[in-house]
Amino acid sequence: MLLHNVQEDCNNLQQHEVTYFLRLKNYYSMKKIGLFYGAGIATAAIVAKIQEAFGDTQVDRIPVETARGVDFEAYDNLIMGVSTWFDGELPAHWDEIVPELKTLNLHKKKVAIFGLGDQQNYPDNFVDAIGILARVVEVQGAELAGQTSSESYHFQQSQAIRDNNFLGLALDVDNQSDKTDERIRNWVEQLKREFL
Amino acid sequence: MKTLDIYNTDKDILQKWYHLLTLGRAIDEKAPMHQRQSLGWSFHAPYAGHDGIQLAIGQTFVRGQDFLFPYYRDMLTALSAGMTAEEIILNGISKATDLTSGGRHMSNHFSKIEWHIENISSAVGTQAMHAVGVARAMAYYNHTGVAITSIGEATVSEGYVYEAINGASTEKLPVIFVIQDNGYGISVPKKDQTANRKVAENFSGFKNLKIIYCNGKDVFDSMNAMAEARAHAIETGSPVIVHANCVRIGSHSNSDNQSLYRDEYELSYVKAADPLLKFRRMLLRYNRFTEEELLAIEAEVKKELSIANRNAIMAPDPDPSTVLDFVLPEPYLPAKYRDGTHNEAGEKTNLVTAINETLKSEFRHNPDTFLWGQDVANRDKGGVFNVTKGLQKEFGSKRVFNAPIAEDFIVGSANGMCRFDPKIHIVIEGAEFADYFWPAVEQYVECTHEYWRSNGQFTPNITLRLASGGYIGGGLYHSQNVEGALSTLPGARIVYPSFADDAAGLLRTAMRSKGFTLFLEPKALYNAVEAATVVPDDFEVPFGKARIRRTGDDATLITYGNTTHLCLKVAERLAKENIGNIEVIDIRSLIPLDKQTLFESVKKTGKVIVVHEDKVFSGFGAELAATIGTEMFRYLDAPIQRVGSTFTPVGFHPVFEQAILPNEERIYKAAKELLEY
Repeated sequence: MLLHNVQEDCNNLQQHEVTYFLRLKNYYSMKKIGLFYGAGIATAAIVAKIQEAFGDTQVDRIPVETARGVDFEAYDNLIMGVSTWFDGELPAHWDEIVPELKTLNLHKKKVAIFGLGDQQNYPDNFVDAIGILARVVEVQGAELAGQTSSESYHFQQSQAIRDNNFLGLALDVDNQSDKTDERIRNWVEQLKREFL
Repeated sequence: MKTLDIYNTDKDILQKWYHLLTLGRAIDEKAPMHQRQSLGWSFHAPYAGHDGIQLAIGQTFVRGQDFLFPYYRDMLTALSAGMTAEEIILNGISKATDLTSGGRHMSNHFSKIEWHIENISSAVGTQAMHAVGVARAMAYYNHTGVAITSIGEATVSEGYVYEAINGASTEKLPVIFVIQDNGYGISVPKKDQTANRKVAENFSGFKNLKIIYCNGKDVFDSMNAMAEARAHAIETGSPVIVHANCVRIGSHSNSDNQSLYRDEYELSYVKAADPLLKFRRMLLRYNRFTEEELLAIEAEVKKELSIANRNAIMAPDPDPSTVLDFVLPEPYLPAKYRDGTHNEAGEKTNLVTAINETLKSEFRHNPDTFLWGQDVANRDKGGVFNVTKGLQKEFGSKRVFNAPIAEDFIVGSANGMCRFDPKIHIVIEGAEFADYFWPAVEQYVECTHEYWRSNGQFTPNITLRLASGGYIGGGLYHSQNVEGALSTLPGARIVYPSFADDAAGLLRTAMRSKGFTLFLEPKALYNAVEAATVVPDDFEVPFGKARIRRTGDDATLITYGNTTHLCLKVAERLAKENIGNIEVIDIRSLIPLDKQTLFESVKKTGKVIVVHEDKVFSGFGAELAATIGTEMFRYLDAPIQRVGSTFTPVGFHPVFEQAILPNEERIYKAAKELLEY
């Protein structure tokens, strides 16, 4: 319980104390799943569903707003939740952490990314953020997990597409909300296999 | 080129940026308070959400090399380019010491002309033409620098932005077009402007054009994009579009209420993307600054703004007695032909040849003279009427060249090129025929505004030639007269000669004068025998000097252009018939107008008839008649008569043209009635 609350407690601590606690936390978290996500009602709801779908598997939730590089290094399996802002950008808080991500060694780590998008109103940059983030972590040595088929979506362009597949899980709660739960369940089952 | 990021950027640079970002935002947030206190700033377009790209534009601008054309939302751009907080506020509250215009121009139009942060219009995107024009001069004079212009994404819908980008692409000119994309044109969302979410993609097929996309909310991405753009423009001499994705955190302006068309969710997520807060968080996250250091900068900004604000408020207000200053610059004053007449004898020259030879003569006289227009510069041809024949052959394709069929671009790029150096004078053929000039009226307005709007700091040295009028069987679109409409705009001289010598003399004066002159050519007279005269090689006609072409005592016939010759024939006929002796005055110059010559004639004759080819209704004759009626009423013995076109377009069939345009019979009838009154 103490470890689960470390992130919240860190907000009240000095920098050197934060680092100490994070390292302590990292030690105990190895081999578990770290789920990094940005603030937002829609994303938070998805995060809860993913966590639920994992069942007994421990999934640590880390808000990206306060995440540090050491947090990412702490896990072998990472899930990143990122919505696409405006015409194909990372949200501000994710964008802020990119310079730090670019300094990390992510070799031997598996990263699965899910993203929220609106294929009807933003068909030219549907879930672009998945693709942007995927390329960042790939360059740092991570292996992408959780790639999914782009069938049953209708959009024009996306930076998240490679070989007709999404580089992660694309969710569209605005236009295909009825498919969200099933997509999450299937994706989590896929991740359970790929994260082994 | 070094790519800047949060790790490798020097701390003193980061400090400067944070200072500028914080100061800019503080002014942006203070501006509405000035309006609430009735201090001014009644137009304020907040820039919050454009912070990254505006900081980058200003930081990339190199004083002494570049020309910057900011748009009305570019407050941080101006501040970042070096203007002080006090200078920004002086413009905001329209003080006499406002660098843009001394309070003449609307607030939130920031400029410092001595640094070539240019004074621009409120008509969105018009400055893109000017940037292309000044870049043309940079290329011609081998100047190392770029022209930077910024616009909102909705402005790309304007046809003249397309014309400007097309022109820069065609001519390969070092222009950086920054598109600050905040998703809205006032309340109109981007999807209603164009199909591409990233409007710069509309230009992806343009040759010689590089397009760079950046996050305009991110300082580093914006800085890197602008640095890359400037380096590319200078290295290749080619244009670049920098498409910067921004957000508009506030309303379009203080007259707009965005809550009427943006919901709470949208307003909350644009606030979450606030570039200033993002930059601040990064400075802390990456341990480049401590909280205490940032608070110290913020405190310093607060103090700086307070002092600037106090100084600006104490600055003098504009003096209304100066309102007539800087309408027109002082013209060239002929030394030899002070009244614009001569007594030279010899071989006659027709009107088209007189214009052609004067152009060549003035091109030899001033090596910084240029000419362009549609169809004006082919090997054996010089426009439809061969007015410019031989100019390109003698002066080369860098000084005399064809323009695309884009009238607004022809005028706008001339306005821009003039900004490079006041020694430049540009002659443009505004359109093949005056009838096709209307798309350029927007840039015509800009040319007329510049001198007054800049408080005398800039005037475009342009002679705008147009082949005008009818009597050639040209119908609706080859017969129009435009002077009636254009004379309502202060800031242009308008001349309309009838004879070859006057055409030569007025053209020479126009090309040697500072400022903007509309030179109308009666195309029906280009090769007409009656318009041919002896033309002294150095003939000059001052502006505002009418010419009495026939003296008389019984009535004053005031005219110009094509109808001068009809009037002279009528006067002779009436004299022969012993009906009356009419004085015929060719005003030659509509603006400025030689009221003295007209009034002296009216005193003598007591009767006035005004004749012109343009429509009677709202034609320039209405102004002439009203002026004489108001100022010379006591000398009039009869109502002033007016003869001109019917209030219709000019029909194509000869019977229509004859019925519509003034002719000898109609002038004769009106003059006879007047004489018999």
